[in-house]
Amino acid sequence: MFRLLCLTVAALLLAGPVHCQDSLTARLQTRADSLLQSWREAQRLADVADSLERVRATAGFDTIAVGALRIIVNPSPLPVREAARRAWPMIDGLYGSASADLTEQPYIIRAVDPDSTVRRPVLHVGLEMPWDLSVRATAAVLVNTVPPPRFDPALATWLGTALRPLARPQDEQRAVFLQLVTAPSEAVRACFLGEITRCKDVLQLSDSSESLERWYVTPNEREALVIGFFSDYFARGATAPTLQQCRQHRDVACIALLKSLPSGSLPPPLAPVARLSLVREALRAGGRDAYTRLVANPSLPIGARVERAAGIGLDSVVTRWRSVLLAARPPRLTVPWWAGIAALGWTALFGLCAVRSSRWRL
Amino acid sequence: MIAMFRAVLYTQWKWSRLIVMLGTVAAFAIPLLSLQGAARGDRGALQAQELLRSVQSWGTLYPLLAAALGLLIAITTWAPDHRGRHIHALTLPVPRWQYVLLRFSAGFVLLAAPIAAVLLGAALATATATLPPGLQSYPIALAFRFALAVFVAYAVFFAVSAGTARTAGIILGVIAALVLVQVIASIANLDLDLVSVTQSLLVLGPGPLAVFTGRWMLIDV
Repeated sequence: MFRLLCLTVAALLLAGPVHCQDSLTARLQTRADSLLQSWREAQRLADVADSLERVRATAGFDTIAVGALRIIVNPSPLPVREAARRAWPMIDGLYGSASADLTEQPYIIRAVDPDSTVRRPVLHVGLEMPWDLSVRATAAVLVNTVPPPRFDPALATWLGTALRPLARPQDEQRAVFLQLVTAPSEAVRACFLGEITRCKDVLQLSDSSESLERWYVTPNEREALVIGFFSDYFARGATAPTLQQCRQHRDVACIALLKSLPSGSLPPPLAPVARLSLVREALRAGGRDAYTRLVANPSLPIGARVERAAGIGLDSVVTRWRSVLLAARPPRLTVPWWAGIAALGWTALFGLCAVRSSRWRL
Repeated sequence: MIAMFRAVLYTQWKWSRLIVMLGTVAAFAIPLLSLQGAARGDRGALQAQELLRSVQSWGTLYPLLAAALGLLIAITTWAPDHRGRHIHALTLPVPRWQYVLLRFSAGFVLLAAPIAAVLLGAALATATATLPPGLQSYPIALAFRFALAVFVAYAVFFAVSAGTARTAGIILGVIAALVLVQVIASIANLDLDLVSVTQSLLVLGPGPLAVFTGRWMLIDV
């Protein structure tokens, strides 16, 4: 009897927290639902506000259409149409058939008097540009602010930046060439020397697991990475002794530290510009519909998307990319012929001045 | 004429041999020092950046050495004449232009030693270094640039030294006037930047000091 009483009391005691836990979960669930509802409400209100702001901002503005570009701009001397004519071929050249989607994302530009100090109403949409900008500068603004059509988060995360047209792609290629030569990674060096698998590794086109070992191959590189990038991060708390060991050239400690980093925080050996140049090469290879194919299926792995965009195998795309970069090698470091002649000319001129100096010290 | 040139060269060598020798040693050493450690092939991919950084840092010394050599050789060339108040030059049976030309040419001959030293040092340094793939050495371009810079620096300071005190005063006066106009323009809030314009004229394009700017790299991509 006493045992039964004890069991009953114990069951009651245990049931209390379990019930409490249940009710806590339910409360949190309700709160989460409520937050979601509030967020949706806020989103709807933001959309309405955005729409109203757009109407307010574009009141009395004209719409200029060049290709698929739609530019809503106030009347001013700003050479928008000429700039759009100059920008459109670059934009169309990159996005190809997908650039038709740009009609749905018009630019809103407010041209303002650059010399006026009169306070203007604040607008929360579009761009504000001084109306004395040249055609070239205005075209550069249009190109640099064009919203890439159907640019999905997976592509944006991989690229690390937006894909926009370039006036001088050779500058980008030259910058990547310099990275290939100077990046502190054996994998990048191997890519430079022609190992296409390594190129795919450092461009993050391969399987994302074991990135550390594939990007930073040697113990020296890993140690330099820890000390150069994460010294402060690991210097405090439980990781401090491991950092000390890493400083003492213990590779196991360096690997442990780098593997403890949150996902996605390991710096890739090549900067985003390298991946941008690869995508540009794939789009060049794939023709007018290449961009449409690139953004058609965001759930596919990036390698497969690049392959589809280019219409050729991934290895071929990477090989083409590497060849383009090697061809973009900066010019050899020489003294230009005219600089040599100028220097000798100045030498002769100053010599002549000396020769014509007076012998009389007056 | 050749005998006269030999005599002038010999006297100038006596006056400036310490400068020439020190300059030659420095010119030979800088390329070697800039590539120190580059011979080690075990440094891997980390080497390229470090190497370029080191070469770039040491590269700032070449134009400084060129300017210093030009200045010091030009000064020592004329120092005895200035000390003797140019009496000796007046007593010589040669026209002034010929006398100046002999001095000018002798200075160039003396400056050939440091230029050759840069070329030799750079060639030796690059021959013994193991360069990472993608990097190239430019010993001839560097020595050529150094030679041009030494020539220009020497010619400028030689012309200034050959001039009278009045000439030097005029040059200083022009510089002072430029500074004064710039200060007044700044006070009057005028959009006038004479210093930048002068700097651009001197340093950019075919300006006289343009050869001192640019990239003094023994190793580059």
